[in-house]
Amino acid sequence: MARRRGLSETALARVFVSPSIILMALVAAFPVIYAFVLSLQAYTRRIGEGWAGIDNYVEALSDERFWTSLQFTFIFTITSVAAEFVIGLGFALLMNQAFRGRGVTRAAILVPWVIPTVIAAQMWFFMFNVTPGFINSVFGLGNFNWLGQSGWATFAVIFADVWKTAPFVALLLLAGLQTIPGDVYESARVDGAKMFQRFWHITMPLLKPAILVALLFRTVEALRVYDLPQVMTGGAFDTESLSILVQQYIVLTPDPGYGSALSTITFILILGIGMIFVTLLGRDLVIGGEEER
Amino acid sequence: MSITTKRGGDKQGIVESRTTAQIWGKSALLGVILLWCLFPFFWLIMTSLKIGDRALNSPDLFQGPFGLQNYEAVFAQDFHLNLRNSLAIAGTTTILCVVIGSIAAYALARLPLKRKILLLSAVLAVSLFPPVALVPPLYELWRSLGLLNTWEGLYIPYTSFTLPLTIFILTTFFAAIPKDLEEAARVDGATPFKAFYRVIFPLAAPGVFAAAIIIFVQAWNEFLLASTFAPRDPEIAQTVPVAIAAFTGAVPFQRPIGTITAACVVVTIPMIIVALVFQKRIVAGLTAGSVKG
Amino acid sequence: MSGLNNRARWVAVVGALSLGAVAACTPSGDEGGDGGGGELTWAIGGAEAQPGGIHQRIAEMWSEQNPDNPISIEVLPEAADQQREQQALELQAEGSGFDVLGMDVIWTGEYSENGWVESLEDVRDEIESVSLPGPFESAVWGGELWAAPYNSNAGFLFYRTDLVDQPPTTWEEMCQMATQIGQQEDIGGFVGQGARYEGFVVNWLEYYWSGGGELFNEDQSEVTFDTDTATQATEFMADANQSGCFAPGFNTAQEEEARNEFQSGNAVFMRNWPYAYDLIKDDQASPIREQFDIAPLPTFTGEGTISALGGFNNAVSAFSDNKEMAKEFVVWASTDEEVQTMMATEASLPPTRESVYQDLADDPVMSLLGEVLPDAKPRPPAPQWNAISVEMQRALFPAYNGEANIQDSVQTVDEFLQSTVE
Repeated sequence: MARRRGLSETALARVFVSPSIILMALVAAFPVIYAFVLSLQAYTRRIGEGWAGIDNYVEALSDERFWTSLQFTFIFTITSVAAEFVIGLGFALLMNQAFRGRGVTRAAILVPWVIPTVIAAQMWFFMFNVTPGFINSVFGLGNFNWLGQSGWATFAVIFADVWKTAPFVALLLLAGLQTIPGDVYESARVDGAKMFQRFWHITMPLLKPAILVALLFRTVEALRVYDLPQVMTGGAFDTESLSILVQQYIVLTPDPGYGSALSTITFILILGIGMIFVTLLGRDLVIGGEEER
Repeated sequence: MSITTKRGGDKQGIVESRTTAQIWGKSALLGVILLWCLFPFFWLIMTSLKIGDRALNSPDLFQGPFGLQNYEAVFAQDFHLNLRNSLAIAGTTTILCVVIGSIAAYALARLPLKRKILLLSAVLAVSLFPPVALVPPLYELWRSLGLLNTWEGLYIPYTSFTLPLTIFILTTFFAAIPKDLEEAARVDGATPFKAFYRVIFPLAAPGVFAAAIIIFVQAWNEFLLASTFAPRDPEIAQTVPVAIAAFTGAVPFQRPIGTITAACVVVTIPMIIVALVFQKRIVAGLTAGSVKG
Repeated sequence: MSGLNNRARWVAVVGALSLGAVAACTPSGDEGGDGGGGELTWAIGGAEAQPGGIHQRIAEMWSEQNPDNPISIEVLPEAADQQREQQALELQAEGSGFDVLGMDVIWTGEYSENGWVESLEDVRDEIESVSLPGPFESAVWGGELWAAPYNSNAGFLFYRTDLVDQPPTTWEEMCQMATQIGQQEDIGGFVGQGARYEGFVVNWLEYYWSGGGELFNEDQSEVTFDTDTATQATEFMADANQSGCFAPGFNTAQEEEARNEFQSGNAVFMRNWPYAYDLIKDDQASPIREQFDIAPLPTFTGEGTISALGGFNNAVSAFSDNKEMAKEFVVWASTDEEVQTMMATEASLPPTRESVYQDLADDPVMSLLGEVLPDAKPRPPAPQWNAISVEMQRALFPAYNGEANIQDSVQTVDEFLQSTVE
């Protein structure tokens, strides 16, 4: 597809991409580099004490609390993203249909997601907490202490997160479903493919890019969860996420060096996991145009 | 025929089966989904209409007394100014992100660019660093640039941090459009720009609108940067989540759940309207040829 | 969207861009007058800092009396941690936007260590002579006075007069009554602040101190932590949690949860700050509003009472443009009789000026405060206090919930305290 006039394609590509790169570099790169430099320095509370090299990192990685919060963060991420995917896919398939009242249904499905997180977190705390015990009284559970025991506290936080962000996944998957041409299904139907076969062999593969984007962003968001556990449990009963730990060392008991080291470790971890998704995604859409159709 | 599970069947389009069991089954499923999504919102509405300590803290949803005092209190605190601020900031973020992001996405999806995966990863990396660690250096930078307490001081970093998600979504959708359509347009003599406008953009509309909603809602609900850069002064730049978090009760310690839920309801209703409008766009019929309507 | 023809699309684009251009301009607002021109800015948060609250009224009083140096309030959020964050951002940048800082009693050491506040040694006598010793102690760090006490807070035992004749004087007695009566009436026994946050440390310290334990010596140079008393306090909590003395939900409750339970009649006893008293009395719908009273907190020994100290002090920012007037303001707010009395009568905020308690001895809350405050102990306002508190929470919270060994947890706390003085 050679152009005959104007910029060459490569130059054009660079022009198109540069505003984004410039904006992101200016605003985001500076604080990231600053934080990284901070992480190599020693601090006693807010007072600088010179160079620390990798001491902060060693300390962070040998802190038992780091590993405990990592464990919770992983459990939270895997469970909630899986649940959100399944429920979100269901919502998307539903929203994709033509039926009466579909507009209202689609808007209704988005409601959980548009509520500000801090309010949603307070609401779920209020509902789950044994006093006043809203969920307990609705389901006749007496004094069941959801937020006050290990395991169930994690469940409550995951539940609130799934409720809140399944619509986000649904939205992305719905848009993905919309780009699948109808005639592909027609010909499959004509060929006698059953509903489930059509779903598995046509819908899912064509939806793969949208699925990967949704999973990518939900995963990195879940790995950084802060508001929900902080408001619902304060991190008690093994619900302390990595972000809560980081927040503690930047704000509550500030140690800029250690806090930045924790942040960088978190960052590298999340980036690593994100890269896996990117590679999977990249193969699909970026390397040339040989998508199967 | 059995009822579809949550993963749904593959009922693309207009053909609906008519067995009674199916209709009942679908209605039940719909009912469950609506209940799941909307019941907590209903709780928010009920709580916001309650006045008096006991009502607000009782597990009984229908315990009175009721009244509109909470809404009066919310607006007495210049909440409409917060709404204005949030609208402007989130709106500008959305426009900037879509414009800048779509040309970058087009380049990534279509034009030859070396090391795309590396670029995508770098793009992703920008949004992954724990924001809480980025706040201190950004605050200092913003302070020296005089960007504190301004709209641009918020929508610039919002755009910057939301560009990765935008670019990913849009790249996915652009790449999913068959190249032959573009070919056809160019054969007809269109410049790459025109090809982009008249062919790609409309076909990618579901993705674009999905991205737009996501950007808008994320910018709207963002709390950390907003509470750091514009913590007070609704007349200037204080946004909605920050204002809600700053609500106090009548006496110290008291948690103003009434005004918080009232503010949440006030905020969610326009969002639902925006979602209703946008969801039409996501699933809007695209009449051009082979793409599904 | 293919329905849109070219013109419509251009209109949309132009419209969007115009919106962008307009939106891009922040409305010009007052950038917040700094100390220039003799004006003072008071950074304080919470319900009483809102328009109509007592802090605003006090600010107005000052401005009337000092028209050349009026003071205005920068309203900070309700939560103390958020207030500290916002003050820290300004102070770390050495900004002159705040002249007077409303400080929680536990921040004194941190603010002084960071060089954020002015020493008030030259006005020390003025303040010390009229203030209660506990609140005054909370404003001192390293032997120097860094803030002027402003208001205070102490914990009360709330109890049901229809179920309890005499308030208990020991913790064991309280638990016995709580469990027994709770079972009889099918309500919870005792509610306090048991969630994993600073409030939990406050509650635990009340048990610990009331058993005779201490944390540091006078000048915070030595650790005087008593592991036996600490074990006693923690074991008490663990047993109470198991036996039904602690009401359900104790381990997720903060101040409001406890108040709501007691106010709805679901608990026999409550440990809370005085703010709850008026809220319950004024709540028409509360079934117990005429059936409760307040008493000093019990101890393990049965003698005396000890409560933790809360409250706020006012300090002068080291970066203020107007330190002299700011200093005058903080001294005035701390010592002026009218101001201190107003706080008590109009806002139910416990004042720090000793004489007010004698003047207002008719009011039940004030009279109990007068009894309890002289013995109330401040948490050490050391710069490390937050770190100490976090360690205590992490070690002792699982211990009382039966998820960690009590001896080991107490040992961990001791070791951490030791590490802070090395």
